[in-house]
Amino acid sequence: MLILYNIEFEFIDMEYRVVAFREKIAWLTLVSMAAAYTLYFGLVLAGHPAGRAMAPMLWLFGSIALAQVIVVVAGTTLFAIRTPKEGRARADERDRSIDGRSTRIAYYILMTGMIVVGVIMPFADSGVRLVNAALLTLVLAETARHLVILLSYRRGWHG
Amino acid sequence: MAKPPFTNDIRTLRFLSGEMTQGELGDLVGVTRQTIAAIEQGKYSPSLEVAFRIARIFGKPLEAVFQWSGE
Repeated sequence: MLILYNIEFEFIDMEYRVVAFREKIAWLTLVSMAAAYTLYFGLVLAGHPAGRAMAPMLWLFGSIALAQVIVVVAGTTLFAIRTPKEGRARADERDRSIDGRSTRIAYYILMTGMIVVGVIMPFADSGVRLVNAALLTLVLAETARHLVILLSYRRGWHG
Repeated sequence: MAKPPFTNDIRTLRFLSGEMTQGELGDLVGVTRQTIAAIEQGKYSPSLEVAFRIARIFGKPLEAVFQWSGE
């Protein structure tokens, strides 16, 4: 009986090491977002016209954002097909608690960024630079949100 | 992440209840398998409602499932 008990414990640990559906989505979103917007802001910093004119900015940002959304939707669909039960499961109290925590932290980053973009930057900058700064704030807030989600699932969160 | 000031015997109770899996217990309680695993490992403190539901499934009082270990 003791042997069975130990096997069960091992099995429990193995179960936990399987990455949960919502954690996979958070990883997918975080990695795709990091890749997409590192490319976008890298090009802007390297002198791409998206850093100076509205039309190239809209075209480049729109293309990259659309590509990232397609990757996330395709990945989510694939994960849902591979683990249909988890894909259909509604968020439980732990998922909601983690989501609330991550959104709260992202909100403060977004508010700080928007104060800089909307209140401080207009004294020195205008046009596309303001828009790009606002987009950077959005990306940073979303990145922080997904990092907090991943850390909360990995290391635990007591609500 | 600090451990909560209480421990639980969910693993043992699952084993004694016909080797119930985390997924089965999660389905009965209304949470995911991962949430049951997180509670067992002290990585998540369940709400009072979920704690009572777990105890009720095992037919035990709350203090037989969760034990205060803090000061």
